[in-house]
Amino acid sequence: MMDVPITRFVALLKRHGIAVSPAEAIDALQGLALAGIDDRETVRVVLRSTLVKQCQAIAEFDRLFDLYFSLPAPAEDGSPEERSGAGSTLLPDAGGATVPTPEGARAELAPVEMETDRTTRAPVTPEYKGVDLSLFGQHLLLQQRKDAGQNGYKPTFHVNARHNPGMPAGGELSTGDPGEEIDLGGAVEALLADLRALEVDEALLEQLEARLAGGLTRLPELLRRYRVRDAALHRARDPAAAPPRATRRTYRFNDHERRQMDEIIRRLGRQMRGALSYRKTANRRGRINVSRTIRGNLKYDGVPFFPVLSNQREERPRLTVICDVSLSVRTTARFMLHLVYSLQSLFSRVRSFVFVSDLAEISAEIERSSLEETIDRVFSGEIINTEENSNYGRALEIFYERYRSAATSRTTLIILGDGRGNRNPPNAWILEELRRRCKQVIWLTPESRGSWHIGASDMPTYAPICHKVEVVRNLDQLGRVAESLVRSSFANRR
Amino acid sequence: MFETIDQVVTLLRQQRYICDRKLATVIFLALKMNKPVLIEGPAGVGKTELAKTVARALNRRLIRLQCYEGLDEARALYEWEYGKQLLYTQILREKIGSLFAEMEDLRAAVEYLRQHEDVFFSEHFMVRRPILQAIASPEPVVLLIDEIDRAEEQFEAFLLEVLSDFQVTVPEIGTIVARHPPLVCITGNNTRELSDALKRRCLHLAIGYPDEERELEIIRLKVPELRESLARQVVSLIRRIRAMDLRKAPSISETLDWAQALVLLNAEQLSRELVEETLQLILKYDRDVQQVSAQLPVLLDGAPGAARPTFDNMDLREQQERYRINERAYFSSRREE
Repeated sequence: MMDVPITRFVALLKRHGIAVSPAEAIDALQGLALAGIDDRETVRVVLRSTLVKQCQAIAEFDRLFDLYFSLPAPAEDGSPEERSGAGSTLLPDAGGATVPTPEGARAELAPVEMETDRTTRAPVTPEYKGVDLSLFGQHLLLQQRKDAGQNGYKPTFHVNARHNPGMPAGGELSTGDPGEEIDLGGAVEALLADLRALEVDEALLEQLEARLAGGLTRLPELLRRYRVRDAALHRARDPAAAPPRATRRTYRFNDHERRQMDEIIRRLGRQMRGALSYRKTANRRGRINVSRTIRGNLKYDGVPFFPVLSNQREERPRLTVICDVSLSVRTTARFMLHLVYSLQSLFSRVRSFVFVSDLAEISAEIERSSLEETIDRVFSGEIINTEENSNYGRALEIFYERYRSAATSRTTLIILGDGRGNRNPPNAWILEELRRRCKQVIWLTPESRGSWHIGASDMPTYAPICHKVEVVRNLDQLGRVAESLVRSSFANRR
Repeated sequence: MFETIDQVVTLLRQQRYICDRKLATVIFLALKMNKPVLIEGPAGVGKTELAKTVARALNRRLIRLQCYEGLDEARALYEWEYGKQLLYTQILREKIGSLFAEMEDLRAAVEYLRQHEDVFFSEHFMVRRPILQAIASPEPVVLLIDEIDRAEEQFEAFLLEVLSDFQVTVPEIGTIVARHPPLVCITGNNTRELSDALKRRCLHLAIGYPDEERELEIIRLKVPELRESLARQVVSLIRRIRAMDLRKAPSISETLDWAQALVLLNAEQLSRELVEETLQLILKYDRDVQQVSAQLPVLLDGAPGAARPTFDNMDLREQQERYRINERAYFSSRREE
């Protein structure tokens, strides 16, 4: 009977961007069967270790777990002991062991609760559809204590709670006061009768009866809180609910972009797998090197005991990126830098430069802090003045004067910008010179070819000099460009 | 064999490994479900040690495979012993010659030889590398695949068959199935993303830095000579240093080294001079050392600017993020060297 709540939880995880495969869900169930469900933290660990394999996703998992497997404590009329224990068990006076609600979940729920207190019966959020009662039933199940979890008990309880005549089918709760419309007394009696018929241990029954009596009086209240919690689960991805710190990071990825980016990187990684696995030192593979084999095995009478294999040492290409970070191309620049740095392992050296009018190298910055922080700093104008008008000619000149060494015959040079140099001299000869020095020069621009002659764009001058000019406006296009870039960089590999 | 989770905790504790229930639960599940455990976390928090301890606690042999760039199946699974094969043919040359003397023509000789070729492709001529050793072992073992992210991605593909079915296929011989599935512990430093296929087959365990009490407990256990008051000072200073933005934050192993050193130096309590002299023990980069010694007065005074987030009150995601950044910086600098 554990499978329904768990599959629902898995679905919830998926909705929040944590990928879970069916095999992992089965593992989770198997794990729960082995470790038992009587201890909340054990359940958490079992689910986490079987379902969540990304370190970054653990925090999100914990949050969702707390929300999903918790019920806010009953309101003020609760007995003192349950308030002190921060108890969130549905049926508080049972067996004494209350399941603590983690602080985080509580804090998150607090504003929502206040919201509903003000507008008690109004839907909490627009997309909120109603309470899923079967979930409620399953919830009871998960919170049972071990001593109550004897044979036959849980399934029967569960089934009866769902199929009682008093409960609306389909689990949809009407908008009125929940407590009034459900024939609770009848439901409980039927449940108890069913249980008696099953010849469950008498003491257990009494315990259950006592629990129900305690829980029933507060059931409407509990249901309401349950609904609030449920709504909180649904609206968890509401941008307004995100921590305030996120507002500052205007240039960070949102989750969707991140996933898309990850996907591009994975795809590229897969494609390049063969290319990555070259050996620098050990010549364990390759063709037999005849002369060295004979020389090495002379002491064995020329019998080739130890064949010497050798293969050509392969050079990894280098990558130099020059990014315009003026306002017009900022988004693309950000994606580009991210992509390049995620692919860093494919290249022997990645150097990156940013410019508006001044040009500066940020490779060292990125190494020191992180890429995201560096990008934030670049965009906030800390490293170069981002307020100026972009000047491509000047930026190219600085690059040529100071950083010429970053362009060698092994280098692929990527320039990202719209080529709008505000009528400054374009210095196209530098680009020609760079083309001569580099393996290839690729220009990425967010503007389509049609708009190049409008206004002061130098793109028509620059474009014929480059090996390739690509129009990149979104992540998909960028992914394709990166793919062809990587492919051509490794073309002479096989 | 472990029967309950609590038993795992006690048995590991008997082997001088302090662990929480979370960790014990995963180990327990791994044994019961016959699944490999993927352990991730920053360097020096006891990932490898965990595998070793579990092996001791279970009284099993530990087979260790250290991954490195360029590791291939010949080093991890098996390899044909070319030299030995040649030697045998050389020695058996006359015997072989006499066998073939009776053959009428070449065709018959080849046919005859084919019947006997399995002589030279038998397990006798096979060098068993760690993974095959673990699979073929007559008694259950613990297989530790250390720092898997150092190996290339296609190495993970070799592992898939082993991890899900506990078997190794050798084309010339056939499939070798484990008589007792080994307990497989895979450790990773999170320097690159592991493939989903691998992750799916494993239970995932993220070990972070321990909380204050647990770290104290570990010091008490491993360096019992260190006096209690000093241990507390050490732990709180280490935790403050960890909260700083360093290239490589000190880990438990560094804490223990330092504690050991303080015992040897007969230290009474942490003074500024003493810390400065021994800072090299816990920090691995010059720039980190400079940064910390500049901050030392504040760090030692306690209450290091309440505005700064300390490692404790960061949430797990931030902790992860921080050490990932540190590791990334570390590895990119290594690549240059």
